[in-house]
Amino acid sequence: MKIVVALRVNEAAARLSLDGPETLLDALRDQMGLEGTKKGCDQGACGACTVLLDGKRVLSCLTLAAQCDGHEVTTVEGLAPDGGVHPVQAAFIRHDAFQCGYCTPGQIMSAVALLDEGRAGSDEEIREFMSGNLCRCAAYPNIVAAIRDVAGEVASHGADSGV
Amino acid sequence: MTETKPAPTLLGAGVDRVDGLSKVRGEAPFPSDVTYPRLAHAALVRSTIAAGRISRITTRAAEEAPGVLAVITHQNMPRLERGPATLIGPSPVSPLQDDQVFHHGQYVAVVVAESLQQASAAAELVDVEYEVAAGVFDLDDPRGELRVDPWGSGARRGDVEGALASAEVTFEASYSTAANTNNPIGLFTTVAAWEGDTLTLHDSTQWTANVRTTIAALFGLPEESVRVHAPFLGGGFGAGLRVWPHAVIAAVAAQVTGRPVKLELTRPQMFTGIGYRPATEQTVRLGALRTGQLVALQHHATIAIGIVDENPEPVTLISQSAYACPNVDVRDDERRLNIPPPGPLRAPGAAQGTFALESALDELSYKLGMDPLELRLRNYAEVDAHSGLPWSSNALRDCYAVGAERFGWAQRNPEVGSMREDSWQIGYGVASLSYHWWQVRCEARATIGRDGTAFVRSAANDIGTGTRTVMTQLSAELLGLGLSDVRFDLGDSTMPWSPAAGGSGLTTSLGVAVDDACRSLRGKFLELAVQGPGSPLAGCSSDDVVVSGGRLHRKDDPGVGESYAEVLARHGLDELSADGLGAPPDPAQTGLALSPPFAAKFAEVRIDADLGILRVARLLTVVDAGRILNEKLARSQIVGGTIGGIGQALFEETSFDPGTGRIANATFGDYLIPVSADVGDVDVAFVGQPDPLTPVGTKGVGELGLPGTAAAIANAVYHATGRRLRSLPIAIEQLY
Repeated sequence: MKIVVALRVNEAAARLSLDGPETLLDALRDQMGLEGTKKGCDQGACGACTVLLDGKRVLSCLTLAAQCDGHEVTTVEGLAPDGGVHPVQAAFIRHDAFQCGYCTPGQIMSAVALLDEGRAGSDEEIREFMSGNLCRCAAYPNIVAAIRDVAGEVASHGADSGV
Repeated sequence: MTETKPAPTLLGAGVDRVDGLSKVRGEAPFPSDVTYPRLAHAALVRSTIAAGRISRITTRAAEEAPGVLAVITHQNMPRLERGPATLIGPSPVSPLQDDQVFHHGQYVAVVVAESLQQASAAAELVDVEYEVAAGVFDLDDPRGELRVDPWGSGARRGDVEGALASAEVTFEASYSTAANTNNPIGLFTTVAAWEGDTLTLHDSTQWTANVRTTIAALFGLPEESVRVHAPFLGGGFGAGLRVWPHAVIAAVAAQVTGRPVKLELTRPQMFTGIGYRPATEQTVRLGALRTGQLVALQHHATIAIGIVDENPEPVTLISQSAYACPNVDVRDDERRLNIPPPGPLRAPGAAQGTFALESALDELSYKLGMDPLELRLRNYAEVDAHSGLPWSSNALRDCYAVGAERFGWAQRNPEVGSMREDSWQIGYGVASLSYHWWQVRCEARATIGRDGTAFVRSAANDIGTGTRTVMTQLSAELLGLGLSDVRFDLGDSTMPWSPAAGGSGLTTSLGVAVDDACRSLRGKFLELAVQGPGSPLAGCSSDDVVVSGGRLHRKDDPGVGESYAEVLARHGLDELSADGLGAPPDPAQTGLALSPPFAAKFAEVRIDADLGILRVARLLTVVDAGRILNEKLARSQIVGGTIGGIGQALFEETSFDPGTGRIANATFGDYLIPVSADVGDVDVAFVGQPDPLTPVGTKGVGELGLPGTAAAIANAVYHATGRRLRSLPIAIEQLY
């Protein structure tokens, strides 16, 4: 018997028909065609699959899709709809905060949440609270610079920056 | 036609990645993102013993499980030859060919099913019984076959023993380095789809052309019948340089089931199936005069290797030519063990060898009472020891000087354990790096169409280093076009042949081919531009005409000329193309040694003696890599490699269980790689000049980040504490 789950993904209503064991990560990628969210370990240890669940960052490989009934999921595809670019995405490009780009969606989702959590007060704080997102190309210094840059924009422009 | 002057906004300076937007939006298609209608999924079954044979394998339960399409074992796998040797060594042994087991984690079966969940569940139902044999896992174990200098890479010059006997100062020590696993975040994936006798592969590879050649040979197909796509790779660090067994299995699974098949490795499988940096044990013996001048250098290594595969790992090669020394003896031996086949990982060989050589130099400096940087300077090699020729370019002394100034080396108190700040013991360390020269034949093709924009391509791969971006820059410069009017494409085996993205060799190899293609295309346009009725440049010679802003125009009168589009239109052509070939320079003709890139590494460590905390506070790498096509991206590469070096120095050790040969830490929770909080200040500076041997002037950047970093850190730890650590990774308990 299938489990039917109704949720919102990137501000649109979605329905999933599940056997039960599907993770949110596999459901996003395989059922909804949202392949921007990446699988790096499937064990909750690398952060590549980070998405926002009701605005908070979660590891989608450790979240069962069946748990998401009635919840709101935001993936990298939902950050800047209509072909736009989110300020964190723009800062990642400007600061060359990635190389291969595979962990990048997870890094960006984590960074967006981090800014929202108010955890970007210093480089040390950014480093600490971004350490759940592994980057084997090791773009870490540029990731910190990108987040610091956006945090500065937020501080100087407040809500106008749209972050 | 005269040379187009590089526009300063295009070259050298940090242009953002041309594929950056696709990556931050999650739109860049990695192999694991590829899907097909009716796509089936494969899950691998791995051996749970390290040595022996499969005595019985029962697949019935798996075959009857929901959604299962096929179960393939050595009993029904097609017989395949071993793949052909490549530019960088033999191919891996073909999988599932017999009942023999040589390492824990070896593939023994694959299950193909409608969904990944069904395939994974059914893989658990494959029942394998084994006859277990005794495995050999330790580099010191004499039961493992020792191969003495198997690649003939050993080299001797002069009389090392005689020079050691008469040296004023001698030093000898042994060093060891642990196995390290590549661990790109992207799970290696092959998607295979047959259409008749034509096979399409989407593969996690650093070498599209090699996948085509290897798979075509294994399946007895003409190369044109195999098409390989690899536009993006989620990191490889060397793991994508070989066609590993899973890619072969995916192609067979698709053939057997008649369905497109995706085979995505799991994280634990990423530890056993795509190579890794092998463990080494090394001995270094040095002889010197009191002035510091080296008179003898011996560097021997024993390197771990699997039972049936081969892996050229040039550990001691760097010691042949790193320093001016008349008496040298280097040799790489291998010991066969029941371990997964090793393979390339970031600066293979040099990563381990540089740790031993540069640690030994540091130890010698203390024995001589000499500044370790000064010792290296006194042994600067004026000529290339391999060829005896002067370097085509070598700014290693500038690396030392600029590095010392930028790092504040003069503030280093030479006395061990003398620098402190509160509870922190502070140490400064240095290491030098002379990397390998590497350039091979490469092809490219350039086209300009009616809209006046250019399309330049090669089968090469951009593994995140920025190949797409720097080749766009280079093409734009050569064709006199803006960046947005050039598209550089790659990662498709139908494009002109390219070597691998690896070994700091692609930018020069490909750059020379792109240079040739673009110059040739410019020449073709010039020929047309001066011909035919209505030519504004009629009668001009090539010396009179330059290209800029998408136009060919008179040098002395920019208003006289026409655009690429106008030339094509006037001649009734849709497009014009030119092929480019890049070939390595010939030292016999140039009289100059093919110079590698060089670097100097400086490290500051801070150790809290009470808590045992070791922090790498600062790392500086000063690089002579010839011309830098894009400073922003080159800097990112060096920073990334350097942080990889922090991993090698402090965290990374692939642990083999001594009883079973199973990797005991094959997850990201157990195998530690550097995270953001582990990284302090990482600085990079570039010195030197464009190398004169190629028109592009580059020497390769990527491999200069990692090797030498661990030595600089270990040398700094000694300076801080007086503890000499000769094995990697450095563990906290070694500090007490």
